[in-house]
Amino acid sequence: MARDLPQEDPLIRMQRDLKRALKKKPTDIKWGMVIDIAKCIGCHACTIGCVAENKLPPGVVYRVVLEEETGHYPFVGRRFVPRPCLHCQNPPCTKACPVTATWKTEQGAVIVDYNKCIGCRYCLVACPYAARTSDFGEWYTAETAELPGKLYGQKAAANGYEAHPAAEYGQKWPDRNGGSPVGNARKCHFCLHRLKVGMLPACTTSCIGRATIFGDRTDPHSLVYEMIGSPRVYVLKEELGTRPSVYYLK
Amino acid sequence: MNEKFFKTLLGVAVLGLIIGTGGLINFLVYGKSTLALGSYIPWGLWVALYTFFLGLTAGAFLVTILTYVFRIKIFSGIGPLSAFTVVVTIIAEMLIITLDIGHPLRIYRMFTAPNFKSMIFWMGLFTLAMLIIYILETYYLLREEIIHWSQDPGIKNRKVYQSMALGRTAYTEEDRQQDHRRVRLLSLISIPVGLFFYGSNGAVFAVLLNRPIWNSTLTPLLFIISALVSGGALIVLLTFMFKRDDAVIHLLARTIRFLLVVMLILEFLHFFISYQWDVLYIVTALDLILYGHYWWNFWFVHLVLGSLVPLYLMIRYHDNARVLAWACFLIVFTFIAFRLSFVIPDQAVYKLEGLQMSYFHERLRTTYVPNLTEWLVAVWVISLGLLAFLLGTRWLPVIQAGRGEEEHV
Ligand code: SF4
Ligand code: SF4
Repeated sequence: MARDLPQEDPLIRMQRDLKRALKKKPTDIKWGMVIDIAKCIGCHACTIGCVAENKLPPGVVYRVVLEEETGHYPFVGRRFVPRPCLHCQNPPCTKACPVTATWKTEQGAVIVDYNKCIGCRYCLVACPYAARTSDFGEWYTAETAELPGKLYGQKAAANGYEAHPAAEYGQKWPDRNGGSPVGNARKCHFCLHRLKVGMLPACTTSCIGRATIFGDRTDPHSLVYEMIGSPRVYVLKEELGTRPSVYYLK
Repeated sequence: MNEKFFKTLLGVAVLGLIIGTGGLINFLVYGKSTLALGSYIPWGLWVALYTFFLGLTAGAFLVTILTYVFRIKIFSGIGPLSAFTVVVTIIAEMLIITLDIGHPLRIYRMFTAPNFKSMIFWMGLFTLAMLIIYILETYYLLREEIIHWSQDPGIKNRKVYQSMALGRTAYTEEDRQQDHRRVRLLSLISIPVGLFFYGSNGAVFAVLLNRPIWNSTLTPLLFIISALVSGGALIVLLTFMFKRDDAVIHLLARTIRFLLVVMLILEFLHFFISYQWDVLYIVTALDLILYGHYWWNFWFVHLVLGSLVPLYLMIRYHDNARVLAWACFLIVFTFIAFRLSFVIPDQAVYKLEGLQMSYFHERLRTTYVPNLTEWLVAVWVISLGLLAFLLGTRWLPVIQAGRGEEEHV
C-alpha cells in the first residue's frame, strides 16, 4: 500500500537520494531517470522549466513532451511522453562527433564541450531520438521595436532575460553574439550544474505530476532504482541497442 | 576551346560571383540564423552541394583507374586536365562544408582531437589526402611545361612560373623519367585512397541508425559508383571543350554508360529492398522521394533528364562526340538533384511520433526549402570554382601538358 500511496512527496525522497549519491565516489555514481507515462498530464512544465534554467534561445529545446495517439477509433487515447536526451549507455551521437567534443561522462551523462564543438551537426543526424538541437544564434527579442530614448525596446528587452549568461556545465556562457554556444549542438545534460550543488534537475523539480524520477540508478535504496525494477518499465526504441539511461513506465 | 565560349563562361563565373556575394555578405554578417536549416533537417543544400562536388572529383580517379589499372593508354593525355579538375573541385567541396559548420575556425580540431570512430573524421582525412595527392600529381604533370614557360620570354608573369619551377631552368630527360615515376606512384596511391575517400563519404550516411534511406550497406557503394558517373561525365565535357579527342570521349562515355546502368540498378535495389520492410517511417521517407512535394526532382530531373535521356543518347549516338558531351552535360547538371533527393528526404520524417506537436518553432520542422541566402552562397562557391578552373586552364599549362604520356603508361 505504501508503494502506491507515498507518504511523502517523491521530491523529498529524491532530494535525500541525491544527497546520499553525492557522498559517493563520483565514479561510482550512474545517473538515471524514470518517466512515468501514467502520471504525465502533458502540461509541458518540464519543457519550460528546462528552457528557463538553461536560458535556451528560440529553436533550441532539450526536453519536449511528445503526444502519442493510441488505439483505434472509437477506442482511442492519448498519452504524453516527455523526451529529454536519453543519455544512452551506447550513444550513437558521441561516436559520430569528429572532434571528440561530446562524450559520456563516468557518471553516465552525455555532454557537449561548447568550446570544442565545431558545429558540424553530425550528432544531430546521428541521434535516433532527435534529442539534440542546434543553436542558430536567434534571439526572442530580435523583432522587438527599438527607438533609443523613446521606446523601451530590443536591447532593454534582451537585457531583461536573454543577455543573462546561462550556467550550463558550471560555466557562465557569456552573451549570444556569435561565440559558443551559438553555432553548437546543444542538448540536455541532466542539469549537471545543479546536481553539483545538490539540486535536482530543473525538469524533475518542475514536474507537477511527479512523473519524473531522477537519481543514482546504482543505489539500491534510491527511488529511481526502485522504479527501474518495475514490471512497467520500457525504453524508447530498444531495438536500436542504444541502452538509454532514461526509462519509461507504461 | 574557342575564345568566345571561354569568355562567355568567364562572364558567367564573374556574374555568379557578383550575384552570390550579396548572399555571402548577408551570411557572414548575420551568421547561421540567415539559413533555412533547422534541428530536424540540419543538413541541407550545402551538404548536398558538398556531395555534388565530391562526385565531380571522381573524374580523374576514373581516368587514373582506366589508365593504370586497365592500362588504357589513350587517357593519359587528359591526365593533367583531370588532375587539375580534382584539385579545384576538392577545394570547392572543402569551402562549402567549412561555410556550413557552426565554428569554421575550429575545423583544425579534426586533426588535433580526432575521434577515430567518427566517419566524418575519416572523410576529412581522406579528403585532405586526396587533395595533397592531386596537388602533387598536377604539379609533376605540369612541371615540364612550367619550366619551359618560366624560360619563355614571350610568357607574361614569368616570375611566377620561375618560382613555381623552384629555381630549375632546364628539364632533362632524367627529370621527365623521374616525374613520370612520381606521377605513376601517386596515381597508384590514389586508387586505394580514392576508394576510401568515396567510401567514407558514403559511410558518413550509412552508419547512422534510424535513417531509412542512408542506413544501408549499399550507400558507400552507391557513392563510389555515382561519383564515378558524374566525375567521368565532367571529364568528357571538359575534354570536349578544352582538348577535343574523340577517341577518348567515346571510350570514356562507354565506361560511364556502363557505370550509369550499375548505378540505376543499385538505386532500384535500394528502393526495392527498403520498400519490402514495409515499416511506416521507412516507407514515408521513400514515398517522400517518389511522391512527395518534390516528386519531379526524382522522376523528371534525376531519372529522366539525368539518367534515361543521357543513357539513350549515349547508346544511340555512341560515336558522336558532340552528342556524348551533351549527354554528359545533362548528367553533371542534374546530379545535384540526385544528391538533394538523397540528403533531404531522410531527415524530413519525424523520428518520433508526436514530435511535430511538441514544441513549435520554425527550426523544429521537417520541411526545408533552401532560402535565398543558401542559394546565393551556393552560386558564389560554384562560380568561384568555375572561375578558378577557367583561369587555371589559362595560367597553368594544364592543356599543354600531358603530351607524350602514353608511352609511359
Ligand atoms: S538520446 Fe541522442 S543525444 Fe542523447 S545520448 Fe542518446 S543518441 Fe546521444
Ligand atoms: S555538432 Fe559539435 S558535438 Fe555534434 S558532432 Fe559536430 S562537433 Fe561534435
